[in-house]
Amino acid sequence: MIEIRLHGRGGQGAVTASRLIAIAAYEEGQYSQAIPMYGTERRGAPLTAFVRIDNKRVRERELVHNPDIVIVLDPLIAQQQAVVENIKPGGLVILNTMHSPEEVKLGGDFKVATVDATTIALETLGRPITNTAILGAFAKVTGLVKVESLEKALRKTFPGRLAEMNIAAIKRSYEEVKGPIQAVVKEAPPVTVDIHVGGYGVLKDVSSWRVFTPEIHLDKCIGCKNCWIFCPETAIQWNTETNKPSIRYNACKGCGICANECPVKAIEMVRVEA
Amino acid sequence: MSYEVMVGNKAAATAVKLARVQVASAFPITPQTTITQYLSEMYANGEWDFDFVNVEGELTSQVVVQAASRVGARVFTCTSGPGLLYMHHPMQVTGSSRLPVVMAVVHRGYKGMQPDHSDLMSQQWTGWSHWYVEHAQEVLDSILMAYKVAEDERVRIPIAVGYDGYVLSYTAEPVEIPDQELVDEWLPPNKAIPPILPDQVDPETFSRGWGGGDPQLPWKTHHEAVLRVEEVLKETMDSFEKTFGRRYGNGMIEPYMMEDAECAIVAMGTIAGTAKAAVEKMQAEGKKVGLLKLRSFIPFPVKDFQEWGKKLDGIAVVDRSICPGKGGPAFSKLRDSLYDLEERPKILQFHAGLGGKEVRTHDFEMVGDRILEAAAGKEVDLVTWV
Repeated sequence: MIEIRLHGRGGQGAVTASRLIAIAAYEEGQYSQAIPMYGTERRGAPLTAFVRIDNKRVRERELVHNPDIVIVLDPLIAQQQAVVENIKPGGLVILNTMHSPEEVKLGGDFKVATVDATTIALETLGRPITNTAILGAFAKVTGLVKVESLEKALRKTFPGRLAEMNIAAIKRSYEEVKGPIQAVVKEAPPVTVDIHVGGYGVLKDVSSWRVFTPEIHLDKCIGCKNCWIFCPETAIQWNTETNKPSIRYNACKGCGICANECPVKAIEMVRVEA
Repeated sequence: MSYEVMVGNKAAATAVKLARVQVASAFPITPQTTITQYLSEMYANGEWDFDFVNVEGELTSQVVVQAASRVGARVFTCTSGPGLLYMHHPMQVTGSSRLPVVMAVVHRGYKGMQPDHSDLMSQQWTGWSHWYVEHAQEVLDSILMAYKVAEDERVRIPIAVGYDGYVLSYTAEPVEIPDQELVDEWLPPNKAIPPILPDQVDPETFSRGWGGGDPQLPWKTHHEAVLRVEEVLKETMDSFEKTFGRRYGNGMIEPYMMEDAECAIVAMGTIAGTAKAAVEKMQAEGKKVGLLKLRSFIPFPVKDFQEWGKKLDGIAVVDRSICPGKGGPAFSKLRDSLYDLEERPKILQFHAGLGGKEVRTHDFEMVGDRILEAAAGKEVDLVTWV
């Protein structure tokens, strides 16, 4: 039995990715099971999903605790040592990151492959939904499913043009994946960040959720307060003396509503480097 | 016959379609599940001719299907956790009116949103038959069987098919979808017959206690009708296997690797699947523990457990719910069922998976070891929280 754990954020399609792998494996005559770990997930919150692939019907329904393969859909989560926790020795990690496998800082006995799935997703789909943009890499480096099976799974799941765009993302990811190589860092650094952050943004530090960060150009700001009114996380503070906004970045999850609402385009969404 | 990798909720909606349900009604918002989403899609696509009524609460959804069932329609509704509590009042009427309503209950606990069986277990007095199922294929098959049993003239009892939220409702796995023609042949349309209120059977009997009849009679006939589910479900399982090539034990319980077992684990719902994996592992190590998956909680498989009780040295009952101050429902009923045996096996109580706590394969190995020890005469705790 092959066990897979996927890490992503609400909105990146980790659950869909797990189901696409399950469908593709079944297309190739394997039994499969895709379990999402649901709680109060929403766009931006870190979440986990699991897949099992076996040549007989999968009976157990516990979550995957010792994965053979870890897939990380988010470049910031991909920096956290927690993603490789309890991976089987000699296992495989596929990361969405701009970096090459040699530059990866995660430590331990496993192989690393990397692909810049965020860029692929932005260029093929126009949105940072990275699930399909990492599945091509998965097909290439694991050989568990063929790209054609993933294509079939996509056509079953999405209609028309959406399927074609995602198939393009899969193919590009298949071409662009780097590695796998044995992890360069041998000794595992300590796990410092809990990637299963629960609760709501106003109370917790959600700065790691951002793919894009809002930056305010105060010279353009006309003080209309639209950003302050519309921010769903109360991350925008209003300075009554200057009549200008400022951002409480640890409460900002990077949704971009402020930039969208600003009538004079004084807020710019800048991609986070990762 | 076709195959699809689908989640438990889609398997439920697919069964509703295959059964050619005529009226479905549901509250469409949380705690409702995606069953209604799939049914809405099927309705929008015109996949078959049915009425789908979105209502403002579970109380109403139960009343809508009740009314449609009274005039002979095949009906379906579904809910989850707190929604089932809100449905409690009209469920009594559905039971007492002996209407063949089939409902999917996607388990969600009361002390959080993760699954345990406390929702359906809290509805034991509503006069329904309660089934607990393990995987997506069994969801589909059981809903089809539920119509066959509920509509049988010997029964005419509403049936709730319960399955765990998240770990089954949202888990995708391969499901075999039977051909519509086969289902049509096996499950003919519901015949409209008048509701079987005792008042109608015997005009002298009024449940309010006036008239010449016995006011207890409505309860007695209702009880006997629910007990007859056992006989009809066993028949239905045989005919289901003949037509579709699959079976789940005798319908009441599903024994797994019990051939050489000296002790048994009893579990319900999804955790029974994990128990199967544990049993395979333990038997490979020479431990003689098997699984008796409990499928029908109401009526309870008293006779089946008595037969197994004669052969076994120990039974470990794993309850995924508890009546606080009273204990695990399956454990109490099972222990009571075996009281009259001359030689009773050791029976232990385990609480597992409450509040959605994950139950792992090694948890069941612990349960298996414990019951083997108890059967061998070692002093062990009667009740264990896994």
